[in-house]
Parts: sequence; C-alpha cells; structure tokens
Amino acid sequence: MRFDTVIIGGGLSGLVCGLKLQKAGKRCAIVSAGQNAMHFFSGGFGLLSRLPDGTPVTSPFEAIDSLPDNHPYRLIGCGNLEKYASEAVTLLADCGVKTTGGGKENGWIISASGKPKQAWLALDDITFINSNEEKIGNSALIINIEGFLDFNTSFIAEAFEKQGIRCRIASVMTPEIDRVRNNPSEMRSSNIAKLMSRETARSAFMLEINKKYDDDDIIVLPAVFGLNSDEDVIGIRRNAPAKICFVGTLPPSVPGIRTQMKLKRSFEEMGGVFLMGDKAVRAEIIDGEVKEVVTENLGDITLTADNYVLASGSYFGHGLIADYNEVTEPVCGLDVDYCKERENWFNPDFFKAQKYIGFGVKTDEKFRARKDGRTITNLYVAGSILGGFNPLLEGSGSGVALTTALCISDSILGR
Amino acid sequence: MKNQNTDNFEQCIKCTICTVYCPVVPVNPAYPGPKQAGPDGERLRIKNNYFFDEALKYCLNCKRCDVACPSGVKISDMIQEARINYSQHSPKLRDMMLASTDFMGTLATPFAPIVNGVLPLKPVKAVLDGVLGIDHRRTFPKYSGEKFESWFNKKAAEKQKYFKKQVAYFHGCYVNYNYPQLGRDFVTVMNALGFGVNLLDKEKCCGVALIANGMSGKAKKNAMHNVEVLGKAVEKGLPVLTTSSTCVLTMRDEYPELLKVDNTAVRDSLSLATKFIFGLMDSGKVKLAFKKDYKAKIAYHTPCHLEKLGWGVFSTSLLKMIPGVEFTLLDSNCCGISGTYGFKKENYDNSQAIGAPLFEQIGRIAPDFVACDCETCKWQIEMSTGYTVKNPISVLAEALDIEETTKLNA
Amino acid sequence: MASNKQNEFDVIVIGGGITGAGTARDCSLRGLKTLLIERNDIADGATGRNHGLLHSGARYAVTDQESATECIQENMILKKVANHCVDDTTGFFITLPEDDLAYQAKFVESCTKAGIKAEILDPEEAKRLEPSVNPDIIGAVRVPDGSVDPFRLCSSNVVDAKLHGAKVLVYNEVIGFIKAGDTITGVKVYDKQTHETAEYRAPITVNAGGIWGHKIAGMAGAQIGMFPAKGALLIFAHRVNGIVLNRCRKPANADILVPGDTVCVIGTTSTRVPYEECDNMKVTPEEVSLLISEGEKLAPCLKDTRILRAYAGVRPLVSADNDPSGRNISRGIVLFDHETRDGIKGLITITGGKLMTYRLMAEMATDLVCKKLNNGNKCETRTTPLPGSGEGDVKEVSKKIWANPTTAQKATVGRAGSFASKIGMQSKEDLSLVCECEEVPESEVNNAIQNLDVHNLVDLRRRTRVGMGTCQGELCACRAAGLLGKAHGCAERARQDLVDFMNERWKGIYPVARGESLREAEFTEWVYSECLGLGDEQ
Repeated sequence: MRFDTVIIGGGLSGLVCGLKLQKAGKRCAIVSAGQNAMHFFSGGFGLLSRLPDGTPVTSPFEAIDSLPDNHPYRLIGCGNLEKYASEAVTLLADCGVKTTGGGKENGWIISASGKPKQAWLALDDITFINSNEEKIGNSALIINIEGFLDFNTSFIAEAFEKQGIRCRIASVMTPEIDRVRNNPSEMRSSNIAKLMSRETARSAFMLEINKKYDDDDIIVLPAVFGLNSDEDVIGIRRNAPAKICFVGTLPPSVPGIRTQMKLKRSFEEMGGVFLMGDKAVRAEIIDGEVKEVVTENLGDITLTADNYVLASGSYFGHGLIADYNEVTEPVCGLDVDYCKERENWFNPDFFKAQKYIGFGVKTDEKFRARKDGRTITNLYVAGSILGGFNPLLEGSGSGVALTTALCISDSILGR
Repeated sequence: MKNQNTDNFEQCIKCTICTVYCPVVPVNPAYPGPKQAGPDGERLRIKNNYFFDEALKYCLNCKRCDVACPSGVKISDMIQEARINYSQHSPKLRDMMLASTDFMGTLATPFAPIVNGVLPLKPVKAVLDGVLGIDHRRTFPKYSGEKFESWFNKKAAEKQKYFKKQVAYFHGCYVNYNYPQLGRDFVTVMNALGFGVNLLDKEKCCGVALIANGMSGKAKKNAMHNVEVLGKAVEKGLPVLTTSSTCVLTMRDEYPELLKVDNTAVRDSLSLATKFIFGLMDSGKVKLAFKKDYKAKIAYHTPCHLEKLGWGVFSTSLLKMIPGVEFTLLDSNCCGISGTYGFKKENYDNSQAIGAPLFEQIGRIAPDFVACDCETCKWQIEMSTGYTVKNPISVLAEALDIEETTKLNA
Repeated sequence: MASNKQNEFDVIVIGGGITGAGTARDCSLRGLKTLLIERNDIADGATGRNHGLLHSGARYAVTDQESATECIQENMILKKVANHCVDDTTGFFITLPEDDLAYQAKFVESCTKAGIKAEILDPEEAKRLEPSVNPDIIGAVRVPDGSVDPFRLCSSNVVDAKLHGAKVLVYNEVIGFIKAGDTITGVKVYDKQTHETAEYRAPITVNAGGIWGHKIAGMAGAQIGMFPAKGALLIFAHRVNGIVLNRCRKPANADILVPGDTVCVIGTTSTRVPYEECDNMKVTPEEVSLLISEGEKLAPCLKDTRILRAYAGVRPLVSADNDPSGRNISRGIVLFDHETRDGIKGLITITGGKLMTYRLMAEMATDLVCKKLNNGNKCETRTTPLPGSGEGDVKEVSKKIWANPTTAQKATVGRAGSFASKIGMQSKEDLSLVCECEEVPESEVNNAIQNLDVHNLVDLRRRTRVGMGTCQGELCACRAAGLLGKAHGCAERARQDLVDFMNERWKGIYPVARGESLREAEFTEWVYSECLGLGDEQ
C-alpha cells in the first residue's frame, strides 16, 4: 500500500508530522499500536523548564545554547526552534486546539496536586498563570464529585493556602453521577466526562455548585469536561457563578484525549489514513534505505513510501524496549544511545533525574536514524524516542515532540 | 488455574485507556469495565475463581479495548475466556435459539414467507419478548426463500470452473439464509475480476453467536469442522474469502485464542473479500472499470471486528476509488448490536444507547446509504436510522462496469 | 515524666514483629496488662520480609527433626486459628533430572517420622495438578505446605491483643531500661512522631526484637550472639503456581516458590551481613540473577513472568552460648531468662525460630512471664481463633455477609476474614475503589487508618495491600494519600508521605526493572512528575 510518507506512532509527534505533511499535499499513513501518551497529558506543553543539571529555566529559547550538543533542540537550532514553536501553536489552532501562552517566557499551570508547574503553552481550559507567585484569587471554592478519588482536593487546598488563597472544599452529587458511582472500578475522569457531555447532566451539576457557592473568587473543578468537544467546557464556564479554574486529575486526562481526538480527526479529514490498533513489526532496510514497513494487521500487504517517520515514543509506546542490560529499538533495530552500566540507569530517589528516561535512538543532525553506525537516508525520527534529552527532568517532552516533528516534516518536504 | 495463552495481562500497566473506549460502561454501570473485567480481574481469578463476576456477560466483545490498548493486552479474549471457563449460568432457550443461526436458518428458510410474515406480528413479538426475552422492539432480519447455496448450485456453480483463477467463499449464515443477494454480488464481482468461486465442502456457522451465548462446546465443534473444510480448500491453493468481517475474525483469531482450535494451516489463507481485492489492485494484478454515471453519497461505518482486524482501510480505499462517490468515514463507534447481544430484552436499551452517537451522525450526514462490512451492524443501523446499509462488495457490484471489468481481467 | 497508673503494666513486650505481637496477644489473653512497643510499624522487620511459606516442616525433616515436628504442629494449629491468613495450597517437593531421586525416599521417611503426611505422586499427576511445574520433573512428593500472609497474621495478633486490653505503641523506640539494682523495672521510650520521651514500667519485659534484640539486650547489659543472615527474594506479578514448589534435596538457595494472595515469591538466598547493614538491606544484581535462574528450574514460565520487586530480610540467627564464633548456628527457638543467664532480673529474650513457630515462641515466652508473675492461667492460643478467622473460606464468609458480594467485598474478606463484616461496606462511598489491582475499597482503607495503627502509606500497604499490586502505587497511592490527609487533617504530611511511599516502592522496583516493569515505572514517573507536579521543587 503506497503512501508518500508512512509514520509509525500516532501520538503528538506522529500526528503533528502527519498533519503538516498532509496539509502540504503528501499522502500519509499513521500506524498506531493503540492509544498514546496524550491520554495522560497535563494540559501544559513544556518546552524547557530545567537544564539537565537542574537549573530552572524561565526563558526557554535563551537557554538552548546551554544544552548539550546532542540535544534535539541544539540540532534544530535556536532560531528554527522559535519558528517551529510558533508554527506548532498555529497548527494546533488550525485543528481547533485553542491554547494560551506560547511566548518568550515560561508560564505556569496548576498541577493535579495543586502546585504550580512550569509550562510554555497550555490548553485553553487549563488555568495558565505568568508567575508561580500569581494569586488566581483571594478565595477559592474547590469542588469535587463525591466518590471521585482521582482528584485530590485537600492537596490543592494546601497548595493554594500556601499562596494565601482562602479555600473551602465541597463535594457535589447528582442522581446521574450517582448512577456512574454504582460501578466503583469505572468512576474515572473519562466516564464522568461522557456523562457531562449531556446538557441535562451539566445543568444538574451546576445547580449543585450554585448551592455551595458563596461569593468565592474562583471555583476549582476537576478537568473532567469535554471528552469530544469544547462545548461542555464552554457550557460549564458560561453558567458558572464565578471564574472556573480547571485542575487536572489522575489519568486518563480528559483535555489530553480531546486534544488527541481533534488532531486525529483533522488528519483524517485531510485524507490521512490512521491505522489504529495496528503495530509496525518490521521495516525492510536495504542499502541504508527503508523499503517497506510490515504491520501486524495488514500482513502481506506492506506499507511503502518515499519517506518514513519513526515517532513510536519511548518505553511507554514500545518505541524502546529495555532488558536488564540493554535498550533496543524493536521495529528497525536502530542504534540506541544508552549507558552500558545498568547501575547508572536509576537514581534510588524516585523523584530525582532517572537516566534511563533519557535514553533514545541515535540520529544524524537532520534526525535521520542510524543503524549499525550508518545513516538511513529516508527514516526520520521524532518525539520521545529520540535520545539526547530527558523529558521529565527538563520538562521538554511535548516541546521536543512538536518541534522535532515539524523540523523533520520540513526535511521531508525538501525545505 | 493459569492459562498460558492469556497471561499477557501482565503487560497491562494500568493506564486505564481501555476504559475510555468501552462503549458499555457509560450506558450500563453493572458492567465492571474492561480493565477490571480483563487484566485486573484475571489476576484475582487466578488466585481464586470465586472472583469471577457474572456481570462479564455485559461485555459486547466489540474489542475496542484491544484496539485502544497501548500495551497489546488481549482484554476481550481474557473476558470471553473467563466466561467460558468460569460462568455457572447455562444458556437460556432464547440464547440457544439466537446462537444457532444455521439451525434456525435451516428451519425457517422453507417457511420464509410465513416466518417473515409472522415475526413482525404483535402477538408473536409478545411471545418472543415475554417468554423468550427477545426484545419486542427489535426488527428481525428477513429469512430468504431460497438459500444462497441452493441458488449457487443451481445457477452459478457450473460456469465457475471456466475461470483460470479460483477462490473459495465462506458465505456465512447471513448470506445463506437472510441475504443471498450479497453472495450473488460477490460472485459477480469475483467473476468480473477473473476469479471462479467455489463453496466449501459444507461450511458450518463460524460460531461467533455460540461463543457469545455461552455455548463454547458447540462452537468448538463447528470450529473443528470448519478448519477441516477450510483446509481442503487451502490444500488446493485457494484463498478463502468472506464478506463478513465477523466470520473472518472468528475463524482467524477466536478459533485459536478462545476455542483453542489450531488453525495455523488455514489462518493466513483467510481473508475479507475487500482486502483480497485491494491486494490485487495494489499489486496491479486486476483492474477495475466503473460505470461512468455512478453517483452515491456514502457514509462508511467500520464494524468493531473490522476495526480490530485493522482492515477497514481496504474497504474504505475501494469505496473511495469509485468515481462519483462522495465518501465520509463515520466516527469509530460501536453500533450497539454486537451480534445477538442487542436482541436480548435486557440489553435492548443499552444497545440503542451505545449506538445513538452513530445514528445521530448518520442522520446529520444524510447519505444516500451507509456502507458496512458487517451483517449485524446492517440490521441495527437500518432499524435505528431508516437508512439502507450495503456491503462494500454490493456497492462494487453496483458501481462496476461489469462487462468492461470482465474484459480488462480476461 | 512522673510515673502514673497509665504507664504501669504487668508486662512490656518490645518488638512488633510476629513474635512480639504473638507474645503480647498471649499475655493479654492470660489477663496480663500488656504494653507492646514497636520502633517502626508492626511487621516491619523480618516478619514482613520472607516467603510467607506455611511450612509443613518437610523442608527440615531430613536435617532437623525437632524443627520439622514444631512446624507441622504449628501448621495444623494456624490452619484452624488463623484461616483468613492462611492459604491451604499444599506443596510439592519436586525432583529434577539433575537431583538425586534417592533423596526422595529418605525425605518421605523423615517426613513420616516427624508426623508430616508425605505422599509420592506420579510426575504426570503432579504436572496435571500444578501446570506451572517444570515438565522435566522425575519425582514429586505432596506435603501439607501452604502460604501465610505475615502482615495479616501479625496485625490480627495485635488486634486481638488490643481487644483484650493491651496497649500498643508504634513508632516508639526503646532507648534505655529503667533499673532498680539488678532488676529491670521498665523502659524509656522515644516517640518518633511527637519527639517526646516517656517511661513505662512493668515487673517484666520481653525482648522480642528479632535481630534488633541483640541491641536491646545490650542496653540491659546482656550479650546475645546474633548473626544477621540476609535472605533475598523476588515477587512475581501474579500467582504463577497454585501449589508451593520446593526442591526435593538438601535445602539450598532459591528453591521455594510460594503463591501468596495475588502474587508468588521465589527465595531465598542466605548471606551473612554485618550487623550495621540490618536496617538497610539491598538486593544485588547477582542475587537477582541467581533467584531467577533457580526459579526457572521450579517453574519455567517464570522466565517470562513480570517481576514486581526484589526485597531482602534478615534472619535473626542465634549462636549457641558456648559457641561465640557463630559456626554452630541454630534456627530453633531460643528463650533466655536473663535472670538465670546474666543475673539481670525482669528481662527475658525470645528469639530465633521462624514465622511458622511464632505462636509456640509466644507461648514459651508467656509461660515464663506467667511463672515469674505467679499467674496460673493456661495458654489458649492453640485453640482460640484470631479475629477474622474460623468462619469459613472467602466464599462462605462473603455469602454470610452479603447476598451478592461485589469484587471488592470478596477481596476484603480475603484480607480481613469475617472481620470484614465490621468494616462498613454498604454505601457507595464505602465501596469507592482506592486500589484497583488488589480491589481495596475506601472503607477498608479508612478502617485501617482508624483502627489498625496506620500512620503512613507504608503502614497502610501492610494492612490492606494498597500499593502491593502490579501498579506498585501508580494511581492508588495518590488516592490513599488523599484519604490519609483527610483522616490526619494534614495534607502537607500526606504529600510528603506520598513521596516517601513512592521512594519505598521504587527501592524494590528498580533492581528488577526491565521490559513492562520498566515501562510501568516510566509511566508512573510521568504521572507523578507531569500530572501531579511532585518532586518538582522549584
């Protein structure tokens, strides 16, 4: 089955790459082995909030030169990085993903534990503040849905109170939510969101909120609205007695899923082929070129293209596979950058930098993959499968996904 | 006790994505959800089978959890297998009737006009509903007066041997008893492409309804029989095609995974007709000529089992290839019928609620007709929306310039 | 601090491991006013760091008849009095082609002599009964082994002691003894949470500190020759085997695979370690590979089974008094009356032994306490069931409590036995699910926080299995931290506790992280860092 570009991986980087190429008139297929990390998206896109040595970064573009040589941002180059970063904002907007932020300086979002967390860009419905000292109000009414344990109101209140915001905690219940509660194992964000997509369910919910409301500056709600569209979020905001501040929950992330659905829908509307639930099992590589990709479902009908993109993610997406003493890339057998000594992979402190998270495949300066030391000329790599950066430590996961995807798309388009 | 085939539940990393895509959970809180029913529950059931929950029967086996799972966990197989291994409930008469598609078909066919006339009657429906638990609001697929097999043997078999290339056709119960026209369309299209069609040496129902209704023993017997007759065709070098995504999924994947029937000798030769035709096109082995004046606004619904097979792309690519077709891919949603599930009184409301977003989308698009590779989706969508549903093979039969195509591939 | 009635007891038991808990229970049952003091959480030491094997005694039959006899007797008692903590799985002693089949006859003979029913099975029959067993086996003997949940067992003893009037102090460390001449009259205790010290008095103190009893005795001026022996074990993510698997040969490293609750455990190694390392055990890569390679010989599918974590415990081995070198180590029960041994009145030490024989050890220690106090009450622990025990298996108990028990209700019965009826589990709030892997509902968590001396998430894990499943705290720890914060009225403490808990989990995960477990670790890092913003101190 012939395409212009075949993309392995349907997460943020694979989709962004597919969207840009499809828009430029290239026929693309995305092979996606199940759903992706967008389902755990905090709502804030990080570009760079810390250097590898832990130094906090407030102006991400200015800090690029302090990164190691093999960091993806260094390969893109500072000037290009700004260009791609703003292109990403436009591309997201074209798909109906509205965002705030995206300037020269990092801002902050409220994390699920209530603590401000740095982000360069945020989804429109997530509260974005310019400084972690910025008070979003003097008083907050923090509301949870009864029995929903994935939203920690007391943590949020504690973090807010440290900033001098007076907090009241309340929980609400409606007969419709009560029905979902009949099933304790399914009392999850996405199921509440499905319920809240009904206007009647939202009105009943809002009625309960109004009963609890007493002139508070803001109302904090779990981000469990709008799985399929923005309408639910807008509906809640429109009818609320005060400013609503949505705070993320434990996975799955409703705003993240909505974003992923919008991107996928746009890609398909442009004529892109999205093979959900299929797995690239092997790439035929001859003379430093990928000739075809074999997938589990398509079997003898292989995918062929001029160019191929590997955006299969890190361990989570099975882009990388770790054994006791080695890390491999399973589809193409690419060269992986990892330290040989296992004792260096892990930090005994769970919350400190974990080296294994920074492992990834080796590429040339144009993000073309390397196998047995040799560049594969038509295989580009994007997103978290790349080596040279530690997304969690640096807060750079989504930034690298977006900008490397746009960068390699330009290479594929010969720009 | 531990089952070596399904211990891939260990790949589950509790990400909860499956739960987002389960169509049952939002409409039926009694269902514990794919994560609990699947990998979480499996660990507990291995500890003590007292942890088996009869509510697993609410699973549609739509396999959307499998498709969404980023960890490759075979969630739906795990659930079906748990039902097979642990369920204490024996199937009701109603379930046995619904499950025995070929038996019922054989009985009904000679009396088709009567059955078709009687089934929609209020008193009959009241009996079905009250006594048997088949929902009275459900419309029934009509039984055809002449079985596809009979038509084929009388009208088509003879000329098939003149084709140089040959395929075997597993028509399935639906084509045989309810809608022989699809089988005829298949023969027309394959003949135009230069392929003769062979029936198998007495196929039996693939068994999907038997599995779903807790009759895995009978399903296994059917499976063993089918693997044997499929084997005969495969030995002759014939690819075996179906026009039903469910039949092919069942024979390809459920036989070994759930029924533990070894199908390695035939598995790779089984295919869906649209996949086979696409493969021929893709490799330049056949050419299609379409009618100049064909025009249709088609909305395509990907059946759950085709979504799982990952072969929807072949059907949609073929449809998109037809000049004059205005094509819309419907959002990937379960229609709610899931074989015999939606026929049961206790599931009717849930079934319709599951399908509602799909029905609404079809209404908004207002196509000329809906295309779909699954017969039960067809019943459900036709009943719930009033739109006609056509198999892509039937669409091809309509849109192809048969004469010209036959010449191109002679 | 002035002494008052509240601080005066008949007996003080130091050490909240299974021996101390059992002793405190026995003392309470005999009407003594008892104080149990534990420096950390109950079952924190060796009690919670072993196989959880309910020995039939077969393992010791050839080498140590006395231990074997003790084991089979205690085995039969525990199956009756602690049935909610025990899984009566039976066990196989298998002979592999590399083993000497002749050992089997000797083994069976020794078992029979010790009163252990040992039945030679046809290898084919053994494979049918336990499909995970190495298919190459040339011999199999069935014995009445089983598995026991040490956390539950320890907690049940503590609960019963409290029901009979005992006072329990956790996170309280004994920092010295109060003496009157040559008599110990009480202990000085430092409360790790309030940072206050207090004094408690009793005419007799029982040192049940396990390996740490060495130091406790030292504080009183008595020397015990203890030799810490480290044993490393691995936990697999599900129950691979339903029947305990042992090797039918002289006991060696990594030759027991025990199914326990939802998981199974392979172990153990045995290495002498310096006393200073007892509080910080680490499992080495060599130990991990030894455990895996030996484990695969018992059940080959372990090769592809996910390993949840590695951990190690310290056996409190005691050298005979006449052998200070420690070469002549006994694994048997050691009871020292320091009055006769060292001239220190008011102190006894109970140590050595094993999890299996804790009840007997408690009985021996309590007998001596009673003798010294002139208390004539007889031991009842042979026949009196522990709270939660004795009303049937999970199915029977569940059906007695609920008409249609939910999965979480069944799971709670599995952990609490008939005590589950006392944990309100009726309303939807009660049944909100905290831990999905182990099906732990909110009510069980709240019950543990209120009634089972839970001060942090690690304690909660020991009582309820929250965080013990395959996700190792990925989602459940957060939920539990919320409930803990609510109960203690301090979110800041709960937040810190969450960080500590994840670090405690990580300690056991990273030595074995690969494949899916490393993948899950990455996902967990993502959830905590990206979504929760924890550990992101800026």
